[in-house]
Amino acid sequence: MDIFLSRLFSGMTAGSIYVLIALALVVVFRSSSTINFAQGEFALFTTYVAWWLTERGLNIWVAIPPIIVLGFVMGALAERFLIRPVRKRDETAILIVALGLFTGLNGLDGWIWGSDEKVFPAMFPSGEDDYVSVLGARLHYDSILVWIFAAAVVIGLTVLFKRTSLGLEMRAVATNPESAALCGIKVGRILTISWGLSAAIGSLAGVMLVPTIPPGQLNLASMFQVLIFASAAALLGGLDSVKGAVVGGMVMGIGLAMINGYATFIGGSFSLTFALILIVVVLVVRPTGLYGTRRLERV
Amino acid sequence: MTDAPLLEVRGLRAGYGQVNVLHDIDLSVGTGEVVVVLGANGAGKSTLMSAMSGLIPHSGEILVDGSPVGHPRPDQMLARGISLVPQGRGTLTALDVTDNLRVGGTGLGSKKDVDEEIDRWFGIFPRLAERADQIAGTLSGGEQQMLAIARALMSRPRLLLCDEISLGLAPLIVQELFGTLRRVSAESGTALLLVEQNAELALDIASRVYLLEVGAVASSGTADSFRENNNIRQAYLGY
Repeated sequence: MDIFLSRLFSGMTAGSIYVLIALALVVVFRSSSTINFAQGEFALFTTYVAWWLTERGLNIWVAIPPIIVLGFVMGALAERFLIRPVRKRDETAILIVALGLFTGLNGLDGWIWGSDEKVFPAMFPSGEDDYVSVLGARLHYDSILVWIFAAAVVIGLTVLFKRTSLGLEMRAVATNPESAALCGIKVGRILTISWGLSAAIGSLAGVMLVPTIPPGQLNLASMFQVLIFASAAALLGGLDSVKGAVVGGMVMGIGLAMINGYATFIGGSFSLTFALILIVVVLVVRPTGLYGTRRLERV
Repeated sequence: MTDAPLLEVRGLRAGYGQVNVLHDIDLSVGTGEVVVVLGANGAGKSTLMSAMSGLIPHSGEILVDGSPVGHPRPDQMLARGISLVPQGRGTLTALDVTDNLRVGGTGLGSKKDVDEEIDRWFGIFPRLAERADQIAGTLSGGEQQMLAIARALMSRPRLLLCDEISLGLAPLIVQELFGTLRRVSAESGTALLLVEQNAELALDIASRVYLLEVGAVASSGTADSFRENNNIRQAYLGY
């Protein structure tokens, strides 16, 4: 029982990170029907900045608000000056710009900070004895923290989309940008805000993520796997659904923890293959995912 | 107050990519006036509406209240009091009926104004009120058209542009919609510019007519003069 629980806990913690990155993907997809492949690299850049700030003596908690703001600004600027000029052309152009951002940002990180591993500060004491015991299983404080942050973001986004006029405008733009414009919505502004918001969520996920994946060090590849898992999670849940991102992220996190724990004959390296297979299966069997909107139209 | 028309276009050209569809269109709509643009398929009616509401680029002049407006975006035309019911209705299919109307009221000042306006349209279209919480994509064609009209009028525009609202709808529903438009226009002084293939109904409520042929204004005049003109009657009214 205790082994099962500790696997469940670690699955939920990884899942929470996937939920956050999946939400970042969902926020962009909802408003602009684009998957932002550079999502992980935005987060990696701001995570490096967070590390750099803590190296200068700043407490990691103090470093979080500025890097969230930085993430927002980066996302917003990327939409305004890189994505929007090519938006009118076609979807492929957007994809190529996103891929350019992906490699460009990663190269920039390496150029500024070097390719060696950085020891990333923990947000909570995460030593051997820093846990609460739940039915014999260890529940570490930093796990609880990740859950709380993920839950807060989910609640915040739900309120934003369901209860605020900004959220309503974002949903309108997601459904039909032309009609939204005719209704007086400044579509460009909404897209810029969406990309900013998405990158801000990614920034938060970045600083939470690094301490939770052993050995807790930051390097240039920190985001690759996570982005693939989160993309699979977002696809599984449905790319335009907050609820879908939550369910998809948790299924990925807990599912992988259980497979790696109980099906050891498959081995840990199977995780990535599992994610990629899942992506293909979802795309073939149910392209709208579990909770994505099937287009409800009567002609 | 000046005597300048509410909306005027001079030498308007517009099209898609390299293809020019409209050639030097001159047209105007006065305050509270009801004007119809008739034309066959492909005459450029929808292009004209899209250009005037800022959806597609144009050259030539668009003037509102006598002043040139340059090349405004749709939200900027709306801010000047000009609203479009697009062809195909532009329903926000994933949103419910109330949220569709709420989006239409984006430019209104307060939430109270938006709620008042929603109540008003639920009064005018009781069928929308019955379906207030229904996802708009599941409405029938006629209901979606009601919703599109109500949504475009949520912003309390001075001029409503309607792009073929009769398209694909049963004659009875079309009659009902035109009746509502006429009433709303008379009560609140909203000017109407209707683009139509259904000439008979449109001539009934319009005072002036423009006839569009292959992207240019072929003739214009009062609705009465058009009804009395034999050639036009035969071509567009069929008797």
